[in-house]
Amino acid sequence: MADTLTTTSGFSRASLPAPTGQPAFVTALRERALEAFEALPVPSPETEEWRYTDLTGFELDFQPFAEGGGPEAVNRHGLLAAAGVSGERAGLQIQRNSEVISTQLGATATEPGVILSDLDEAASKHPDLVERYLHSLVPADRSRFTALHAAFRTGGTFVYVPKDVRLELPLQTLTYLDADGAAVFPHTVLVAEEGAEVTFIDRFASPDLDRALSNAIIEIHAGPNSKVRYVCLQEWGHGVTHLSVQRAHVDRDAEVRTLVVTLGASLSRSEAETVLEGDRGTSEMLGMYFGDGDQHFDHRSIQDHIGNETASDLLYKGALRDSSRAVYTGTVIIEKDAHRVDAYQTNRNVLLSDRAKADSVPNLEILTNDPVRCGHAASVGPVDENALFYLQSRGIPHAEAERLIVYGFFREVLDRIALAEVREGLERAIEAELEG
Amino acid sequence: MSENTTLEIRDLHVSVEGREILRGVNLTVRQGEVHALMGPNGSGKSTLAGVIMGRPGYVITGGDVLLDGESILRLTPDKRARLGLFLAFQYPVEVPGVSVVNFLRSAYNAVKNTDGDDENRMPALAFRKLMKEKMAMVGVDDDMVRRYVNQGFSGGEKKRMETLQLAVLEPAIAILDETDSGLDIDALKAVAAGINQLSGPNLGLLLITHYQRILDYVTPDHVHVLMGGRIVRSGGPDLARELEAKGYEGLRAELGIEAEGDEAEPERATT
Ligand SMILES: Nc1ncnc2c1ncn2[C@@H]1O[C@H](COP(=O)(O)OP(=O)(O)OP(=O)(O)O)[C@@H](O)[C@H]1O
Ligand SMILES: [Mg+2]
Repeated sequence: MADTLTTTSGFSRASLPAPTGQPAFVTALRERALEAFEALPVPSPETEEWRYTDLTGFELDFQPFAEGGGPEAVNRHGLLAAAGVSGERAGLQIQRNSEVISTQLGATATEPGVILSDLDEAASKHPDLVERYLHSLVPADRSRFTALHAAFRTGGTFVYVPKDVRLELPLQTLTYLDADGAAVFPHTVLVAEEGAEVTFIDRFASPDLDRALSNAIIEIHAGPNSKVRYVCLQEWGHGVTHLSVQRAHVDRDAEVRTLVVTLGASLSRSEAETVLEGDRGTSEMLGMYFGDGDQHFDHRSIQDHIGNETASDLLYKGALRDSSRAVYTGTVIIEKDAHRVDAYQTNRNVLLSDRAKADSVPNLEILTNDPVRCGHAASVGPVDENALFYLQSRGIPHAEAERLIVYGFFREVLDRIALAEVREGLERAIEAELEG
Repeated sequence: MSENTTLEIRDLHVSVEGREILRGVNLTVRQGEVHALMGPNGSGKSTLAGVIMGRPGYVITGGDVLLDGESILRLTPDKRARLGLFLAFQYPVEVPGVSVVNFLRSAYNAVKNTDGDDENRMPALAFRKLMKEKMAMVGVDDDMVRRYVNQGFSGGEKKRMETLQLAVLEPAIAILDETDSGLDIDALKAVAAGINQLSGPNLGLLLITHYQRILDYVTPDHVHVLMGGRIVRSGGPDLARELEAKGYEGLRAELGIEAEGDEAEPERATT
């Protein structure tokens, strides 16, 4: 009979990525992570963190590695189109399945020291740099899944922007998955040194699959006075289980803006955290999700204020059709010695069917005695009946009125997305979702 | 739409949450006529307007509402609008994220292009020209139509926006529910001038109001008083002036009606 060990048999010492060519610190990390993976429990729905997403029966019988097919696969599989690039890029990297198959840094990003690279390659070429940052914000032993990630990750993206270098155009990685039954471990390490500016887009796309696992980690280091924009577009096909942990560290006077978009996957759990450690750091966290069918979305966020005069503002909005399901759990932490902090958190959900369901769970942990400006708002409900009647009274049929209202509902987030290309892409995506 | 659209309210009885608000209202408004409907707070004026337009939440316990002889009570609000009905809301609704321009274009195309053929939608440029014309008529500026529908609008701006919608959609019969309330003197003049320009043989108007002032600009053919769920008195323009002088209390005494419920409350001071 199958016991818990055989269910994880795809992930064993024997199937760890070959140590050839990888620096010693990576090999050691994998070894330690594998031990942690084997030792850590399957997250239990008894715990607060996993209350809404029960993975106790989730079989980890995935292929730990699937080939990328080399640079030719970019054209053969139409991956430039899948990257959804409609504007200029400072650089574009494409990973198919477990391997990075193409990396191009454009002419505008030739400032000395800018790196956009396969994470494994970066670990070999710049071992000191990568060792300093890899798994520094999301430690391997944070959970059974992050441990699995640290042990088996291949590919991934390393972005480094040196001091005072400002990249006007965005950098992007497309992670494309078309190997049914595979597990992929997307990993983005984004480092902006003091005074640097960078925008990075992570896009995850796949056709509908029977079953696949995306186990992702994103680590963002915003140095003093830097400006970082990070966009995550999760557009996996059906059948994919997406588990991601994103954590940003914000140094003094730095500004980090993140956007998490969840449209795809059958089950998507996305944790986004910002740690405001330096004084006067600011963070904007935007989120958008649109569920249909029986999709299950679990979004979690943490805004952790350590430094003085730090400010964070979070806005997550989602719409749910059919029998889709979403939960949002957000925590604002104001640490003991943080003074003059501003922290806001808003989550709104609109239900487009009787069978759709959403929960919104805001938490405040104020450990300082200092007065803080802090606010949170949450709502779950159907389309505003008064607004519907108002539009209908002007001749607009019910279905169109609902579309207009839901589209308008997302406007608040869309209006805050600085990158026109991303905003327009999302407008089209929402329209498509609304057309059903 | 026929040449002379007629809205007929026939012995209408309506309950809200188990309470009967309208108790047999009879009223006929023809295209080209101007009717004023007055009545104390809570007497059911907005309820009547809502029922005509198809607002959800009412129980119609008797009577009928007909447009050109056909009952419209089973039609959805958008169908009623496409048949030529319009309601300017007493409390216009905010629609976050939907710009006035987009909203009005959708509405215009829905109302004017009832076959629903996308080919026949008015091109953006032509629509902008039409908007400009109507905006000038009711005194709404560019800035306002680029904003989201009623979001952050002042009370007066909301009322102007209702008037703009009336001007753009050109209904056969329009009910204006206190469109004159909450306006400063200049805004009242602008809105009244707009309504005046629109009124004519092609528009039937039911003006719900508390004030004589608007009726100085838009002279009604008929004035009706709604009290106790019924129209208790109808007359010419003089009736409004008479009411202003003696108040509903006076009329009540004259007609021998007992005050009841919130009808006895004094008028809101904010209007
Ligand atoms: N949705 C509702 N739920 C509960 N009561 C309602 C509802 N709509 C109307 N009523 C009640 O019906 C009565 C009539 O209200 P209505 O708004 O029609 O009055 P009105 O004549 O328009 O008053 P005003 O001059 O203040 O605008 C009031 O007592 C009101 O409280
Ligand atoms: Mg009213």
